[in-house]
Amino acid sequence: MKQILAIAKLTLKAAFRFKIVALLSLFLVVSVTALPLLIKDDGTARGFIQILLTYSMGLTVTTLGLATLWLSCGILARDIEDCRIQLMVVKPVARWKIWMGKWLGILILNAMLLGGVGMVIYGLLEYRGGRLNEDQKFVLENEVFVARGSAKEAAIDLTETVEEIFQDRMRQSSLQDVDHAQLKKQIFEMLKHQFQLVPQGMMREWDIPLGVNPAKLRDKPLYLRTKFIAMSHNSTFDDTRTFPMFWEVGPMDSPQSWRVVMPMTPNVFHEIEVPPNLLDENGHLQVRFINNQNETFYFDVNEGMEVLYREGGFLANYLKGLLILFCWLALLAAIGLSASSFLSFPVASFFAVSVLILGLSTGTMSQVIEEGGITGVDHETGKVEERGVIDHISVFFFKELKKLTEVVLDFSPVELLSEGRTVTWWMVCKAIVQIVILVGGVFVALGVYCFSKRELALPSGGQG
Amino acid sequence: MRGRLFKIVMGVVITVSLLTAHFIQKTINRERGEMGLTRLEVLENAPPILAFTTVALGGFRGLIVNILWTRMTDLGDQDRYFETIQLADWITKLEPTFAPVWQWQAWNLAYNISIKFSDPLQRWHWVYSGIKMLRDEGLTYNPHRPELYRELAWFFQNKIGYYLDDCHVFYKSYWAGEMESLLGKQIDWEKLLNPTTEEDKEKVRRLKEEFKMDPAFMKKVDDTYGPFEWRLPDAHSIYWAMMGLEKCTGNKKYDLMALRRQIYQPMLLNFHRGRLVENQFSQGFEYRPNLDAIPNTDRAYLEFADADPEYRDHILKAHKNFLKDAIYFLYTYNRISESAKYFREFAKRYPGQSLLTGDPTATPEKIALDEFVVERVEEDVRDNSPDRVRGIVEGLLFQSFHTLSLGEEEEASGYAAIALKVWQKYDAEMQKGDEAIRDRVGLPPFQSMRTEALSQFLSLADERVPLMADALRQRLNLPPRKVETPSATTTPGPVNSQSSTNSVNP
Repeated sequence: MKQILAIAKLTLKAAFRFKIVALLSLFLVVSVTALPLLIKDDGTARGFIQILLTYSMGLTVTTLGLATLWLSCGILARDIEDCRIQLMVVKPVARWKIWMGKWLGILILNAMLLGGVGMVIYGLLEYRGGRLNEDQKFVLENEVFVARGSAKEAAIDLTETVEEIFQDRMRQSSLQDVDHAQLKKQIFEMLKHQFQLVPQGMMREWDIPLGVNPAKLRDKPLYLRTKFIAMSHNSTFDDTRTFPMFWEVGPMDSPQSWRVVMPMTPNVFHEIEVPPNLLDENGHLQVRFINNQNETFYFDVNEGMEVLYREGGFLANYLKGLLILFCWLALLAAIGLSASSFLSFPVASFFAVSVLILGLSTGTMSQVIEEGGITGVDHETGKVEERGVIDHISVFFFKELKKLTEVVLDFSPVELLSEGRTVTWWMVCKAIVQIVILVGGVFVALGVYCFSKRELALPSGGQG
Repeated sequence: MRGRLFKIVMGVVITVSLLTAHFIQKTINRERGEMGLTRLEVLENAPPILAFTTVALGGFRGLIVNILWTRMTDLGDQDRYFETIQLADWITKLEPTFAPVWQWQAWNLAYNISIKFSDPLQRWHWVYSGIKMLRDEGLTYNPHRPELYRELAWFFQNKIGYYLDDCHVFYKSYWAGEMESLLGKQIDWEKLLNPTTEEDKEKVRRLKEEFKMDPAFMKKVDDTYGPFEWRLPDAHSIYWAMMGLEKCTGNKKYDLMALRRQIYQPMLLNFHRGRLVENQFSQGFEYRPNLDAIPNTDRAYLEFADADPEYRDHILKAHKNFLKDAIYFLYTYNRISESAKYFREFAKRYPGQSLLTGDPTATPEKIALDEFVVERVEEDVRDNSPDRVRGIVEGLLFQSFHTLSLGEEEEASGYAAIALKVWQKYDAEMQKGDEAIRDRVGLPPFQSMRTEALSQFLSLADERVPLMADALRQRLNLPPRKVETPSATTTPGPVNSQSSTNSVNP
């Protein structure tokens, strides 16, 4: 371990010697500080803080990510090209230790830079937030500068009902030849659809277990996040309509229940602030929507209703978010080092950037999968109508690649932070396992293997 | 051997690729030029940083724009809009001379995103962001692109001026408030063109810098096609369309018809509802026909028809419909001689053509002015446009008060009865729709409209024919006019705005 640490120290020294740390720190601090002067927000204090948080963290991770790639490609490849590595490998140090030492050095450097800039961003957010008026501060403290947990209604179990209807249908008509599984699926979808509809004059109740001790949420407001569709929308005017939606929150028939009529537009998420202390003794929140409109509304079973509640403070959440970002930087360092283990600096840089671009092209991958190929897309249907071999291969390739990239990109700490949602320890652990250990491990193994097998004292300088 | 074959294959691939690139390069370059993606000329009015960025990024601009556009779409799918203005700003700045990008982004802000918000003020923020994007930036970098002027004019006419948005009343009131703070209730051209006081100078500065409007050009627009009520969006729609015509005329690359249409369509609206009246009972604004705009509207149609041989028939068809409205509205407001003048113009320009929809025999040669007006009432009520029905009801009530003041009680009752019938027929149609539609396009209670019309009639009569006003007051048992304040409006008693008891009594 000492040897690894010694090499890590040398790597850090090299970074300081080349003034990388000073330059990057200066660039990041100046950029992050100047950002509020450049960005255009949506006119609300909440929007401004959200965009500030998103862009400053985005800028930091992009800059550090590119710098990491460049540094990790250069630090090993240049040592090999300049033959400095020969001074190291002649010592009784295993090659894998040299590789790991360099990786650790880059990680420490990243941790220092990310931590420093993270502190500047946090200070900036606190400063900006502190200058707002009390109303805006209240909104920020409860919707952005907070770690909010999320709870939804338990998944509906329609198995018994589906079975009953299925048996009933089988008795009533001769459906012996029909695919039973398909029929049950259709019955399930029909029931689910009915469950999601709230016709005129009807009520829909959600019983949402928050899974926390109600005492912990005493005197703390809750937020309902809801989205609905107005079913009879059939004109341009209908899209612009605002419906006065009648909500009741709290135990049924209780004088403590909170009632409100909120003007709301369809097809978009709304957050409704609910007064504190409306949970029942089991920590459940009952929410009722009473449809007194001349309209049928549709609440999707997955995103129709969600309760957001205060789980913790912003700082701890923010640090957890930074930890996930750090995992990405660790992976980039592994990619860069493994590329430079068998390639020259320019080729390694090109390779690493290509891997990065490929990883960030999930949108294109999804598009190819959705369209069913890469050759002539029919503009009417949006699909490749006559699929050839190339289309089949490309769809297969992109499907698998997308699965792989999702292992790495299935985390959105910046988005969670900007929406004031909790970054859980489970997410952090998952990120460490998936990004650093699983995917990063593959690159580490590849890099160590290539570096161990590489002939470093060739007349050409050992360039690959 | 294998290596040699590989080199030959690679050589062939390279040669084919180069040849293909050679043949398609010209087409690509031409299309890039047409779309404004490649700029050979210097970017007009751009700050140095933008000019530098667009040049320095070179071919990477397209790549960056793609990434930004994808992000914008993804965020939109998740209903996350706080970044949208910034992303739209970057996308348009990276392709500053590609007009469709400006159009799309501004439309997205004003039409697609605004409706996601239920608070009218938040909605207005997005609508106005779309307007600002076109007006403050799009036109700065593309001062000779008619589609951008047309789009801006359309936003004023359609998004603010029309009834499609649930919050259109808020938009109109907000805009009227903004304009009133600069121009006052009645525009004083002298003060606007030659401000002398600091306050007036500040107002003109704001008008120029904040709203990008030129007072001299406003005057020109008003003189050419007005008079306009500049608190209403229609005047601004015409302003930007006319500005577009001025800047783009001579540019044969683009079709200017859309801009011309963007002038005469709002002019028709200006005639239908171009007078803003404060309702002292509801504390809001109401829209009244602007009959003084008829002569210029008439002239504009004919001018544009002459200027555009290709669309001449189309414009003249619109002109014909305008004339029918002009005849009818003037008649209902008791401006009989002017109504007759346009009736004669119709007969002269469109001999043998019907004045009424669905009745080909109703030509000016076969029916009289009076007959046309009566038939037209039936036709208009079927039309369901609140402005037109309101105009008809008010015109009939005006006529009723006028004839009553003259002592023609039977005739007055007749007009009032027609007015009530029109109101009832429209109201019955509205009752079939839901509450939201009634709120949007429904009329005030008949009694309220009658009281308002009476107030206006007396106000006008006090100024022009005081004796007539006195006579009407006497017949309606109203308190006499205050002599010491001759311009003051004699207001009748308070109006029960929700009253459903509608009287036929004038």
